[in-house]
Amino acid sequence: MMSAAAPALQAAATPAPRSGAQLLVSTLERMGVDVVFGYPGGAIMPVYDALTGSKLKHILVRHEQGAAFAADAWARVTGKPGVCLATSGPGATNLVTGIANAMMDSVPLVCITGNVSTAVMGTDAFQEIDILGVTLPIVKHSWIVRDPADIPAVIEEAFHVARSGRPGPVLVDLPKDIQVGLTADDFGFHYPNDVMLLDQGAIADAEAMIRAAERPLIYIGGGVKIAGAVEALRAFADSTGIPSVSTLNALGSIRTDAPGFLGMLGMHGTRAANEAVQDSDLLIVLGARFDDRATGKLTEFAPHARVVHFDIDPAEVGKLRAAHVAVVGPMREGIEALAARMATAPLAIDPWVIRCASSARRHAFRYDAPGDGVYAPALLNELSLAAGDDFIAACDVGQHQMWVAQHCAFSRPQAHLSSGGLGAMGYGLPAGLGAKMANPGAHVVTVSGDGSFMMNIQELATLRRYGVALKIVLLDNSSLGLVRQWQELFFDQNYSEVDLSDNPDFVAVAQAFGIEAFRIDRREDVSAGIQRLLAAPGPCLAHVLIDPRANVWPLVPPGRNNAEMMHGTMNFEGEI
Amino acid sequence: MTDTLHIQIDHADGSLQRLIGLVERRGFHIDGMTLSGEGAMRRLQLQVRGRDSGRCVEVLGRQIDRMIGATRVASACAVQTFQTEVAA
Repeated sequence: MMSAAAPALQAAATPAPRSGAQLLVSTLERMGVDVVFGYPGGAIMPVYDALTGSKLKHILVRHEQGAAFAADAWARVTGKPGVCLATSGPGATNLVTGIANAMMDSVPLVCITGNVSTAVMGTDAFQEIDILGVTLPIVKHSWIVRDPADIPAVIEEAFHVARSGRPGPVLVDLPKDIQVGLTADDFGFHYPNDVMLLDQGAIADAEAMIRAAERPLIYIGGGVKIAGAVEALRAFADSTGIPSVSTLNALGSIRTDAPGFLGMLGMHGTRAANEAVQDSDLLIVLGARFDDRATGKLTEFAPHARVVHFDIDPAEVGKLRAAHVAVVGPMREGIEALAARMATAPLAIDPWVIRCASSARRHAFRYDAPGDGVYAPALLNELSLAAGDDFIAACDVGQHQMWVAQHCAFSRPQAHLSSGGLGAMGYGLPAGLGAKMANPGAHVVTVSGDGSFMMNIQELATLRRYGVALKIVLLDNSSLGLVRQWQELFFDQNYSEVDLSDNPDFVAVAQAFGIEAFRIDRREDVSAGIQRLLAAPGPCLAHVLIDPRANVWPLVPPGRNNAEMMHGTMNFEGEI
Repeated sequence: MTDTLHIQIDHADGSLQRLIGLVERRGFHIDGMTLSGEGAMRRLQLQVRGRDSGRCVEVLGRQIDRMIGATRVASACAVQTFQTEVAA
């Protein structure tokens, strides 16, 4: 009797040993992960073995870069870390562009890679790459796990690092012997949320500087949405009446149609936004980093302005532009504290507010372009209005990306997914996939160009496989339009390697993947095409032929200040 | 002008490479380096020099501060002012 009971007691006290791979899967489940984007291969096979029967939903993409971009967009829409999984060597290096993208745009991304066994690491084994070394400059942090028992703690720390403070990508490299090694341990750590205290003195200084200003302007960056400070920002802008401009990645933080919102600043920003920045005497910078596409020539950016800079990342303060007041800490609490102080007395900035509003009216975009060809800005404007507040645009990179930023209406920052810092062509299709999986009820539309689309076109198969009802607007000018535009303007019309007139038949390609597709090539067909696209029950592609000569206007030439905006011969701004 | 940074770093995969890579990537030459200590934490002393006048060692210090597993324990940095002239 005793001999029968003893093993049972022992089993209760000491859990049965599990492999590192099983421990990884159970840790991810415990962390609340529901979706993992990935692609199997030799050095990650124990993990794929453990995935069968788990609660995790694995989305098999067709290229690891697609997994990273889809997980990135998933994270941007849900606010939770995106997870992607790849094998060693080429699987891991294929993630690199996606990791860099997440780093540049502060997106929480957890990348898990297999690697060769520890005993052969450093011997140039088959599919061995030092992915930790390769990715050092583009991760927030990274680990090689060297004991299966460390897996729960490392994974929990990885998630904590990815989402805390200023979010970013992390990488966990799992050698194969660690995946198959057995351990009875299952120790994780609980990471409490970091508490950063607000500097009330700095808030008071900010208030004083705002009250002393005649021409204050809010410069909104992506840090506002990351911090969940959108409502606080809107309340602050409403109550003070201070006009605002936005970076590319912050579009939607203030509704596009809100009074006082002047649009995007920078190279392809609105004239009203850039004029306001150049005339302002105080920039209230919220979670922005003075990127060169936003500032133009830095030494001539906002030349009359003092700067109040709110950011959770102290390393951004003073990096490119001096801050007269720095409020380093949580954005939402910071804005709320400032708004509470500002509520005690109204600002007397009516002449400035009227001047900004008048400029916005004078320079409003127009959509009555001559001709009967499709005018892409008008199509995009109509598309976003037709999709309404449920619209999510997942952009690729190029002219169409700038047209989306300029001409679409956004109700919230999650409505605009764009590879801002990295500018990675190929983002749009996998990002649309990840976004639609994260928010199936939204009208998610990938807006792409004929150059970008070919960079991750294989993910059409993933849409088909999972029946993801992503809609795609493919704006086709049979060229690398933005490069062509720069060659026209800055390289004496010496067109070098930008012609894509031998593109495949995109409608036939989509249909070959089993995806509904149709073509729009006349302006009179645009409205019906948008309705068809939005109403389609499954994935659907609209192939839109546009004028290859169309350029993005206005434009601040590289290296010039934001007051020096160019417009072209086909200029459809209000002022001709 | 050379500044000296005193940094405590975890003895972990890639930690030295991560730190040195950051310093060079952010636009600084490394003129001298001393690694000391044993166990899980190491002490690193770095002499750094900006590649051009636009490099601010205090910003570099804050970029080191935000690294995981690295802590600036003291720095003999020249104090740089963030006040710039504001046009009238």
